[in-house]
Amino acid sequence: MKDKRMTRQQHWPVASAIAVVFALFSWVAVAGVPLPDIPLAVKGDQCVEDTDFMRRNHMDVMLHQRDETVHEGIRTKRHSLKGCFTCHIVKGADNQPVTIKDPKHFCRVCHDYAAVNVDCFQCHTSIPDAKKSGGKL
Amino acid sequence: MTLSVVFALLFYSATILLVVGVGRKIVIYARTPAPLKIPTTPAPTTRRGVVWRMTKEITVFQSLFKSDKWVWLFGWVFHAALALVLLRHLRYFQEPVWTVVALIQPFGKYAAFAMIFGLAGLWARRFLVDRVRYISTLSDHLMLALIIAIGLSGLGIKYIAHTDIIALKAYMMGLMYFDLQPLPDDGFVLVHLSLVITLMVIFPISKLLHVPGLFFMPTRTQVDNPREVRHTAGWTAK
Repeated sequence: MKDKRMTRQQHWPVASAIAVVFALFSWVAVAGVPLPDIPLAVKGDQCVEDTDFMRRNHMDVMLHQRDETVHEGIRTKRHSLKGCFTCHIVKGADNQPVTIKDPKHFCRVCHDYAAVNVDCFQCHTSIPDAKKSGGKL
Repeated sequence: MTLSVVFALLFYSATILLVVGVGRKIVIYARTPAPLKIPTTPAPTTRRGVVWRMTKEITVFQSLFKSDKWVWLFGWVFHAALALVLLRHLRYFQEPVWTVVALIQPFGKYAAFAMIFGLAGLWARRFLVDRVRYISTLSDHLMLALIIAIGLSGLGIKYIAHTDIIALKAYMMGLMYFDLQPLPDDGFVLVHLSLVITLMVIFPISKLLHVPGLFFMPTRTQVDNPREVRHTAGWTAK
């Protein structure tokens, strides 16, 4: 009899450890997985390419555009960076498009999530033309 | 969606096998008696000295350097690059991503090449050096092939056919939060993940156990103090 009680007592730490682990798991499950809140485009219902394609290959499309424009002198509109910001704008509290400094900026939402550095905006502007949208650069 | 569920089940099973398997091995290693006082001399005479010796062993592979410069070169390059690559992959498992992980992203990208360079060197040695070829078993070759294939499929995602890494991260985070997300079904991703699952499963029954095993080497972890402290191993006379 005494031996049985001993073994039951020895199971206590294991049982409580399992309980704690399950409690943690259920808390985590309720919290839900963190996902990026990708902003919808402000106009149009189709990007310059298929969405799945853009999510995978936008960087190649932009670099190809860069090479054609800068190296070959062929400037087209379809894949221009400027074109991105005619639709992919996120407005801030002042109702003006936010720049790359704001974590809500279209590029940053995913780039922050994946920890990928964007270096386009060291030179390029990250908002639409100031003239057209009426904002300041 | 079937694919997401299948890979989720594989990942959960592989994780349990890895954690329980390696944990079991560590318990076995910890319980294995070291009856003799056998630190390789010159050995540190204090506990702190042993910590320093092990630090050098783990970070710069000191005793490997002393024994074989070629193996050290390839082995160390591979392990250092692997550490960078693993750190870089942490971004798929945390939100927000640690600053240090974000900072090494640009360097980690090239670490995969260094990793494959090191592995190729280690593999070439198994063919080109007669004495090593003679003692190389099938599992030695397959282990190198597996890790090289993991590296190449990873590079495939990076440089040949991209995947939707946002969806991929959501999937991996989803596994951790028990909130299943769709897995992007790109060829390289599925190959990469399958090979990693294979690695996780065979880890606890493979030569990769040198990772925990390193910490249980009496020749490196013992303090050289046989005259100051009597070495006992349970069954020895007090």
